[in-house]
Amino acid sequence: MIHRKRVIGAGLGVLGLVVALYVLRQVGPDGWWPGCTFRKLTGLNCPGCGMTRATVAALHGQLGAAWRFNPLGMLLLPLVILGGGLELLGWVRDRPPPWRLRLGAYGGWVIAVAVIAFWILRNLPWWPCPLLAPP
Amino acid sequence: MQWYYSKNGTQLGPVEQGELVARMATGEVTASDLVWREGMADWTPSGQINELRVLVAAAPPPLQLSDESGVSPYAPPHAGTQGSPYAALIPNYLWQSIVVTIFCCWPLGIPAIVYAAKVDSLKARGDIAGAMAASASAKTWCWVTFGVGLAVVLIYLLAAAGAANLR
Repeated sequence: MIHRKRVIGAGLGVLGLVVALYVLRQVGPDGWWPGCTFRKLTGLNCPGCGMTRATVAALHGQLGAAWRFNPLGMLLLPLVILGGGLELLGWVRDRPPPWRLRLGAYGGWVIAVAVIAFWILRNLPWWPCPLLAPP
Repeated sequence: MQWYYSKNGTQLGPVEQGELVARMATGEVTASDLVWREGMADWTPSGQINELRVLVAAAPPPLQLSDESGVSPYAPPHAGTQGSPYAALIPNYLWQSIVVTIFCCWPLGIPAIVYAAKVDSLKARGDIAGAMAASASAKTWCWVTFGVGLAVVLIYLLAAAGAANLR
């Protein structure tokens, strides 16, 4: 059973995302949007810092620059688009998706530990840790 | 999705859909018991709801532990749930939690990822109830992170608009 409301909701959501990405690509990373609140409050990098600049760079096809701004984000992004897209499909159809991107019993832990380690490492001053922080 | 059901005139629930299907498969909720979820006009016998019937039909018959069945009563307690079809129904919210962590730029997403990671490892251990609880927690943290991220952006926009007006 397909829910018409969910199809409309998902359609609007995807449309909004595409419009937002287009605006972001045209305006560039230094638009009017807020930066990272965590960074503003603490002066430290969070795991998502640099993601706006990385996305803009990736939208211009500059994958190397995107990687430099947020390497973990660039690794996770393709997985997230595939895995999240399948979950969205399941939500629209109101039943578990036909195929789920599963990482096994410990895959989730690997990502959890990687995000937390990335968060800590990109704030450390010693080489090569600063390479993980956005320039 | 949260379901309510009724046994002998008593309203029970709410339970997640996977849990309701599990109770239907074991016979705890029968096809004539009334069930209801938000959005339904009235309480309806569970056997008349297609989405539930399809799921129950796909589930294997419940494990019989009575003497006649010949199954040892000393079977491990999780023998019936390990790798069961109900496990596949439990969403782990891993992708959603990573999305809110990366894009809401907010460390609150970390508990969401940790709960999401717990779902699959509990499921692998056969702890279906624990996996469902972790799944619910992951969902809550995803929404909290998303809500806080959205609130921060809105407050920022209001503040920017206010500053522009004063100028």
